[in-house]
Amino acid sequence: MMENSQPKPNIIQPSAPQPKRVSLVTRPRKILRGVLLGLLLITIYSLATLNNANLNLAEAFHSLGVNLSAMFLHPSVGQDSWQLLLRALVTSVSLALLTTLLGALIAFFIAVGAARNLSPAWLATSIKAVMAFIRAIPTILWVLIYSVVMGLGASAAVVGLTFHSVAYLVKAYSESIEETPQDTIEALKASGVGFWPIVFQAILPSIVPALLSWTFIRFEINFANAVAVGAAAGADDIGYFLFMAGSFYFNFHEVGLIVYLLLGVAIILELISMKLRGHYLKQTN
Amino acid sequence: MLKVIQLDKTYGSDKHSLQSVDFTAQPGEVTAIIGPSGAGKTTILRSINQLIRDDSGQILLDDQDIRQANKAELRKIRHHIGMIFQNYNLISPLTALENVLHGRLGAKSTIAGMLGLYSDAEKTEALELLKEVGLQDYAYQRCDQLSGGQQQRVGIARALMQHPKMILCDEPIASLDPKSTKIVMDILRQLAREKQLIILINLHQVDIAMEYADHVVGINSGKIVFTGPTSDVDDTVLQNIYRQTDTSESVVSANEN
Repeated sequence: MMENSQPKPNIIQPSAPQPKRVSLVTRPRKILRGVLLGLLLITIYSLATLNNANLNLAEAFHSLGVNLSAMFLHPSVGQDSWQLLLRALVTSVSLALLTTLLGALIAFFIAVGAARNLSPAWLATSIKAVMAFIRAIPTILWVLIYSVVMGLGASAAVVGLTFHSVAYLVKAYSESIEETPQDTIEALKASGVGFWPIVFQAILPSIVPALLSWTFIRFEINFANAVAVGAAAGADDIGYFLFMAGSFYFNFHEVGLIVYLLLGVAIILELISMKLRGHYLKQTN
Repeated sequence: MLKVIQLDKTYGSDKHSLQSVDFTAQPGEVTAIIGPSGAGKTTILRSINQLIRDDSGQILLDDQDIRQANKAELRKIRHHIGMIFQNYNLISPLTALENVLHGRLGAKSTIAGMLGLYSDAEKTEALELLKEVGLQDYAYQRCDQLSGGQQQRVGIARALMQHPKMILCDEPIASLDPKSTKIVMDILRQLAREKQLIILINLHQVDIAMEYADHVVGINSGKIVFTGPTSDVDDTVLQNIYRQTDTSESVVSANEN
C-alpha cells in the first residue's frame, strides 16, 4: 500500500505480509450445510431402524405391479355403470364451477376492501389477516367443519369450498388491484368520479386478464378439491365413487377408470386455460 | 376566472412548498406556470383541484372557493375541471372512445357509472370530440396501441367531455416529440380561444411557454417571482425565475418528476 507514495523516514515498514486465510463460506451457507448434514443423519438413522415387517421386497413389488396393471391396463366400470360415473363426474365439475363462481363474486368485493390503494390501511390489513387465517386451514377441514354445522352432503361441500376459494381469491385479486397504476385512478378522481365507478370502469378493465387467470387456476384447484371433498362430505360426486371403489370394494379396475376420467378432465381444463391465456396475450400485443 | 389567493403549503415541519402563492388565470387565455424543477409547479396545479390538500389560502373558481367545498361539492367542482397529465393516464386496455366517455362518469349516478351506461347523445359527442382532436379513425383502437401524442389527444378529448370551465395540464408535452408537442399545444390554445376555457399549463420548456402562453406565472422555491403577460417576460425575468437557489432552502415537492 505504500508502493506509490514516497517512503517517509518515521514510518515503520511493515514486516513481510502474512497470507491471510480467506474463507468463502458465508454464514447462510454454514447454516445450509448444517441442515443438510442433520437431514442426512436422520435419514441414515431411520433407514437403519426401519421396521420392514418381514416384507419380501420382490413379492411386494410384484403385487404392486399386479395392482397397477389392474388399475391402469384393465380399467372398467366395476359394479357401477358408466352413466353413474359420468354423472358423478359432472357433479364434481359442477361443484368446482359453482364454488369458483360464487367465490369469485364474493372475493372481488372483499378484495376492493383489501387493496391498499383503495381502502384505508387498517381495513386492508385486517381483511388480509383474516383471509390469511382462513387460507391457512385446508379446504377439506373447512368442509368438515361445515359438515358439522350443516350435515354431511353437497351443501357443506359447496359452502366449505367457496369459503376457502374466497380467501384464496381475495389475496390474488387484491394484489392485482394494487398493481393498477395509481395515476390512472387519480385521473378519474380528478374529474370527480366516485369510488365504485372508478373500481368498475378503470380498475376492473385493467385487471380482467389477471382476474381470469387467477379464477381459472382456482377452478382447477377446486376441481381437485371437489374430488377429495366428495368422499369426505358424501356429496355423491366422483370422489365418493373413487373412495368406495378403492377403500370399500377394492375394485382397482374401477379406480383406474376413475383416475383416467379425472385425468381427462384435468387435460381439458388445462387446454381451455391455455386457450384463454393465448387469447389474452394476443390482445395485449 | 380562476383566482388563487395566498396559497400556502408546507411539507413536514418547515419545508415550504408553496408560500403565499397569488395569481389569476382568465378564460380564453393560456396561462403557463414555469420554474425550475422542484419549484412547486405540480403542487400548485394539484392544489387547484385539491388532489393535494394545501394548508391555507383561497382558490376561487368563478367566485366559489374550492377549498371550502365538502366532499360532494368537491366532486361536482372537479367534474368541471379537466386535467391532462404527462403520462396521459388513460385506461390502456380500453378503446379511445371508452376513455373519452370516462369524462362523463363524474356526472353520473353511482349505478350508471359502475355499469358504464352512456346515452346515445354522449356517445355521439365523444365521437365528435375525437374528430375535433383529429382521431376519428382511432375511436375503436385500444389506447396502448396509440402513440404518445395520440394518447395525449385522447386525454384532451376526455377532459373536454367533462364540459370543463378549466383544463389543468401537468407537463402535457414532457414526454412528446416536437411534432406531437406542436399538435397538442395548438389544440390547447385553440380550445382556450374557441370555448373560452381557462387553460393552465405547467411547463418546463420556456420556449414553448413563450410561444403559446398569453400569461406567465413564474415560480421559484414555492414563491411567485413573476406574473404578467408573456410580452413582459424578458431575460432578466427568466434569470430571476430560474436563478439558483441555496440548497438549504430547497423545497420539497410531491409528485414532481
